[in-house]
Amino acid sequence: MAKILEGPAMKLFNKWGIPVPNYVVIMDPDRLAQLGEANKWLRESKLVVKAHEAIGGRYKLGLVKLGLNLDGALEAAKEMIGREIGTSVVRQVIVAEMLDHDEEYYLSIAGNRDGSELLLSNKGGVDIEENWDTVKRLFIPLDETPSIERITEVAIDAGFIGEIAERVAKIASRLILCFDNEDAQSIEINPLVIRKSDMRFAALDAVMNVDWDARFRHADWDFKPVSEIGRPFTEAEQQIMDIDARIKGSVKLVEVPGGDIALLTAGGGASVFYSDAVVARGGSIANYAEYSGDPPDWAVEALTETICRLPHIRHIIVGGAIANFTDVKATFSGIINGFRESKSKGYLENVKIWVRRGGPNENQGLAAMKKLQEEGFDIHVYDRSMPMTDIVDLALNS
Amino acid sequence: MSILANKDTRAVIIGGIAGLNAAKRMAQFDFLVNRPLTVQAFVYPPEEGQQKEIYRGGELNNVTVYGSLEHAIAENPQINTALIYIGASRAFQSAKEALDAKGIKLVTMITEGVPEKDAKALRKYALEQGKIFNGPSSIGIMTAGECRLGVIGGEFKNLKLCNLYRPGSFGVITKSGGLSNEAMWLCAQNGDGITSAVAIGGDAYPGTDFVTYLQMFENDPETKAVVIIGEVGGTLEEEAAEWFGQEKRRIKLIASIGGTCQDVLPQGMKFGHAGAKEGKKGLGSARSKINALREAGAIVPDTFGGLSKAIKQVYLELQASGVIKPEPELDEKLLPVLPPSVQEIMKQGEVIVEPLIRTTISDDRGEEPRYVGYAASELCEKGYGIEDVIGLLWNKKLPSKEESEIIKRIIMISADHGPAVSGAFGSIIAACAGIDLPQAVSAGMTMIGPRFGGAVTNAGKYFKYGVKEYPNDIPGFLNWMKENVGPVPGIGHRVKSVKNPDKRVKYLVEYVTKQTTLHSPCLKYALEVEKVTTAKKDNLILNVDGTIGCILVDLDFPEYSLNGFFVLARTIGMIGHWIDQNNQNARLIRLYDYLINYAVKEEREVPEKK
Repeated sequence: MAKILEGPAMKLFNKWGIPVPNYVVIMDPDRLAQLGEANKWLRESKLVVKAHEAIGGRYKLGLVKLGLNLDGALEAAKEMIGREIGTSVVRQVIVAEMLDHDEEYYLSIAGNRDGSELLLSNKGGVDIEENWDTVKRLFIPLDETPSIERITEVAIDAGFIGEIAERVAKIASRLILCFDNEDAQSIEINPLVIRKSDMRFAALDAVMNVDWDARFRHADWDFKPVSEIGRPFTEAEQQIMDIDARIKGSVKLVEVPGGDIALLTAGGGASVFYSDAVVARGGSIANYAEYSGDPPDWAVEALTETICRLPHIRHIIVGGAIANFTDVKATFSGIINGFRESKSKGYLENVKIWVRRGGPNENQGLAAMKKLQEEGFDIHVYDRSMPMTDIVDLALNS
Repeated sequence: MSILANKDTRAVIIGGIAGLNAAKRMAQFDFLVNRPLTVQAFVYPPEEGQQKEIYRGGELNNVTVYGSLEHAIAENPQINTALIYIGASRAFQSAKEALDAKGIKLVTMITEGVPEKDAKALRKYALEQGKIFNGPSSIGIMTAGECRLGVIGGEFKNLKLCNLYRPGSFGVITKSGGLSNEAMWLCAQNGDGITSAVAIGGDAYPGTDFVTYLQMFENDPETKAVVIIGEVGGTLEEEAAEWFGQEKRRIKLIASIGGTCQDVLPQGMKFGHAGAKEGKKGLGSARSKINALREAGAIVPDTFGGLSKAIKQVYLELQASGVIKPEPELDEKLLPVLPPSVQEIMKQGEVIVEPLIRTTISDDRGEEPRYVGYAASELCEKGYGIEDVIGLLWNKKLPSKEESEIIKRIIMISADHGPAVSGAFGSIIAACAGIDLPQAVSAGMTMIGPRFGGAVTNAGKYFKYGVKEYPNDIPGFLNWMKENVGPVPGIGHRVKSVKNPDKRVKYLVEYVTKQTTLHSPCLKYALEVEKVTTAKKDNLILNVDGTIGCILVDLDFPEYSLNGFFVLARTIGMIGHWIDQNNQNARLIRLYDYLINYAVKEEREVPEKK
């Protein structure tokens, strides 16, 4: 799942003939002044300025400004660019034309196992959640394209009348094309409006998720997906992602501020169960981490050091199932080096480490881990005979 | 009995190195249960025609790599299963071809990062063909005692620990690959092991689902209970619950669902497998799955750790009710032991192997190379230089400061002698012909011999002989040389003479004799010889080869190592010439006609061949 920002989404809309208002994405307010000289619409329309970042609740944070002229937009852009919101910084803003309109419609499409589903409502806008029962659905089986007539029927069913229904259906059919051809997972247009001045349709907002695994067949995807965790990535997360992109296997990290139990767990399935066990026992996790697919020891070492630096941690859970092919000895040697390095830098004081693991070369790996006791680590090592998540119980009861 | 994979399974692996590794693991299982090789062929166009070595125990098998699936199946019509181990961008096409192949009933894919659209299309295509498409991201399928598809089950030792050499009573279905292995272990530890285990993969749209396999297990009389391990996202677990609750099922169902932690995490914070994503309004949440499964009558412990107890409880109940008969104890000692590799036995000291070569100078088995025992980095740290490394590797001795200084100067003085001499010229011609560095330098190197630079060894050797056999008898020595060898190596120069001395020789002699305390009997002997020879002819001076040879003998280097100094020193120069020619982008050269005397026959007609 890869969410993309409004700018790139609108670019893809344009490509597939879905009407969007005029817009520009800028990083430097001066550029907006220059664009204003070149583009009539910037000088003559009312404008909206929005922070072009993966930040939730932009409106409340003052990162959306409406009804501005070019000078006002310039002012707003200056104000927003460089603003720090938590750990993230606003680097780009999108400046778009505001369209005078009456009705707001809702149009979306999302994939499911057997194909996709088109959703339509003539009660779009910010209250869509409350008007969810007005939404009409059209299931589209895999590899099939519904006719304009069929979509029009659904539009009429959703309360669109006459020519508007046909026009909405036409836009929906282009949305389906865009969805299919761009390997999208979901696209939401809310609101879709009709501009009063010329009665043309335009998608005022775009929320789009594309399948990042399909990027190999999309040479024109010039964007990067934004963070999927509801906030921009931290520096440490970004570092681990950079490593992840370079190696065989994978290493992953999500920080969870405020927690005191750090996870250094193996495998996409098992790691989630470790998080669950901490939560189920009333603990709070300081992060989610995962290494899998037999990653190189240095990558695991980097992940380990990052985790050891998490603030206020009291326990580290080095957990994992019985690996199929991840070499326990090799990956543990990365973890051990990471622990040693961290300790020499003053981390890991009063931190208890709990280990449970099995898999190729488990005996050597576990023995090496156990030896850390001799170096003054508060470490507790268990083999496969310990039920997988029970080390969490031990940690929380200690 | 079992599901999906059994004694009759014969597989083709589509993919490169990862597929080969899987095949090796699979052959270990084949050995454990004493069945023929499961993998009959590979398909990987870049390696078409190659044979891959696969050991089934101690038995070496060669498995052919084909360029196309069609070809592989034409030659191996017994193949009924395909394993996809190829990259995500080609996985769809490969799997589709496999689903098209007549004899193939099951396609399982380990490839990760397959686009959802492709996975959805493959699922649909398989359903239409009445075949099974398992995966993507599936670690594989295991049927205890019968067949292993993929690396599921891990290393050989684990196969035994998980009782996979004989069938048990539990079925296993997981999304995660790591947890399939864990679940098999739990079933062995707390029950009698598994019948079959299948990983369906953690993607958003796997090709199969829990219900597909639950139904198969329900129809398999040997399977008495099934352990499923699911996670947040999608509705496959809810569907499993619905299936289980629909009617009275023969099998017991034990489940564990990952992702309950997401209830308490900040909104939108998601992690784990690609498919582990909760939908709008709690759809597909771990909690809703757990509730659905519990309502349907499945046993769902509150953490993964609780699975052990749950499995044990079900096992004991099934035993008490007579559904599971107690398993006769099997003596694990009777199980085959994987033949160890030579390296492993060597490590344990249980076998003697005659070494092929012996070394006395260098050892790379530790963290860094050691020269005659000394770590290279420690030599650097303690201020030793390249001269000392030469002393160690050529003569197994650390030279003294004075000695290293002499070695260094010999190399510095001999490093180059302009472009005209045979060695440099050879390298230059090669460089101009566009030859790469190692070969061009070797071209210069081949010039080193009796007439160019190769006299150091013989000079050292014979002057040493003279010191020993004719210490105070130079004429006697020269006479012996004349009778037995010929001209004295190290004596004589084409251009230089007494009046026009070789500055290098002068310098080296002065340096060694005046500025060092080196005991230099050989050098002094050679200088005495020079006095006699130059009296006969002006250019019969001690040349640079002779000088160096004598000094090195005095430094106690073995005779046969002496040419090495010239080779080493001149390599520096020849590399320099090669780089120089390349820097200048030098063109191909050939000799001008006027530099050649064409002493050839006049033009004439070729006679008819007789």
